[in-house]
Amino acid sequence: MTALALRCVDAEVTYTIRSHRPLIRDLLRGQRPAAQRVHALRGVSFDVPVGQSVGVVGPNGSGKTTLLQATTGLLPVSAGQILVRSVPAFLGVQAVLRNQLSGRRNIEIGLLAQGLDRDAVDDLVPSVVEFTGLGDAIDMRMETYSSGMRARLHFAVATATSPEILLIDEALAVGDRAFRAKSARRLDEHRANAGTVLLVSHDLGEVRRSCERVIWLQDGRIVADGPTDEVLAAYEAS
Amino acid sequence: MTSDPSTDPSTPASSEPSADGLFPVDRPTPLPTYLRDLWDRRDYIVRVPLNDLRSQNAHTLLGGLWLVLNPLLQVGVYFLVFGVIMPIDRGVDSYLVFLTLGVFAFHYSQRIISDGARSMVSSMGLIRTLRFPRATLPLSNSVGQAVAFGPVFAVMLVVVLAHGNAPTFRWLGLPVLFALQSMFSLGASLAAARFNHLYRDLENLLPFVFRLLFYVSGVLYSVDHYVDDAVLRGLFALNPMYVYVTAWRWVMVGGPATGIEAAAAVAWALGALVAGFAVFRAGEQTYGRTG
Repeated sequence: MTALALRCVDAEVTYTIRSHRPLIRDLLRGQRPAAQRVHALRGVSFDVPVGQSVGVVGPNGSGKTTLLQATTGLLPVSAGQILVRSVPAFLGVQAVLRNQLSGRRNIEIGLLAQGLDRDAVDDLVPSVVEFTGLGDAIDMRMETYSSGMRARLHFAVATATSPEILLIDEALAVGDRAFRAKSARRLDEHRANAGTVLLVSHDLGEVRRSCERVIWLQDGRIVADGPTDEVLAAYEAS
Repeated sequence: MTSDPSTDPSTPASSEPSADGLFPVDRPTPLPTYLRDLWDRRDYIVRVPLNDLRSQNAHTLLGGLWLVLNPLLQVGVYFLVFGVIMPIDRGVDSYLVFLTLGVFAFHYSQRIISDGARSMVSSMGLIRTLRFPRATLPLSNSVGQAVAFGPVFAVMLVVVLAHGNAPTFRWLGLPVLFALQSMFSLGASLAAARFNHLYRDLENLLPFVFRLLFYVSGVLYSVDHYVDDAVLRGLFALNPMYVYVTAWRWVMVGGPATGIEAAAAVAWALGALVAGFAVFRAGEQTYGRTG
């Protein structure tokens, strides 16, 4: 039996969305802000062996992003458990480190925050800069970046330290053709080094290309989980 | 799965996983691991604030010179107002020296605590993207402020020496005092960072808290000159800002300081650091979440 990289056991994520946090006004009036319970994940179980790359598909609001965030440990599970071999790295589109600083400084900060020492960072920065393909824009402030440029930078930062488990949330979809080809190559390398990937995408072509297995989520539950061709065929037919 | 030994918080760090090699991703990090993770971020903690200091004045003509110019101009204004315009007796020998020591010492803590309070909310992007011990952020703010205090201290030294105060053995106590005040300020900033993350009202309130503290900490006047009663003086020791301001003057130019103040300087440093860290860490899992 191959070792597991990730195990999800009856994971449930429930959170409360309030119209606002309780303010002094509400406390004085004895009111509670309007609240709504959201069941984003309603008991999800699956195992991912080391080195597998799994696509996660489903309509908007089906719990895909919640699943990834819970897998990073940034979002707590309300019931069940998510077990990992190592802390996964997360890649989202909206990701930005520090807007007022240049792309280069953000790369540095991102690498340092991941616990690399300064010599390693100095060694890595040029190759990460190179990989982003941002050219001169690397020294411009990140607030001037397009979403595609941000995604390039962030993908480069997150994969530079070769995390064992990589969670990707639509991050590649905003990149242009050249960058997508480049990032697909890096994902292949990652898998070749026994890296595990969980990829959320609406681009089924991309899922087909990079994933051997697909989990189909709907309303916070797994509808289907199996080989890419079978699950995507069923998903597309739905 | 609930009997998995790795769910027991008393089991050791994430680097020693259970039999199948897996551990719950949201398990709180045990204290020794947390401290080791912080230590692993030491290059972040030192380098990021240094770079920030460098780029802080990027859009000015004089650049990094402002780090020295700022305190220099501040002293210049005091000299003009209290030395030239209204040079009245305030119960201290040299009011300029008295004021410079008081104001700079006070501002050091104020900077650490105010900026530290914002350190979480201003780094949301980083927090939501990467996993790292969150105390890295207030800690690196403190380091940055300590470095920025260098030029301030140089100006302070010039003012003290220019007034004919020769160095004494008491100056050997400076590193200790600086370390104690830094510990206190870091501790307070850790607690402030957590509360400000919860309710940002704190950062609106802090300027007023410090304004009030400024007036009751004997920055502008000699508490000793007005307050004779030993019990009342003891009460002042409850105000950490008074304690450190007074200690700076005692170390640099001599002056009234008692064992009570020395004990308070140590107690505030240790107490604030331990309590502040505990308060901050209790919220570790909440940073970056909304709602």
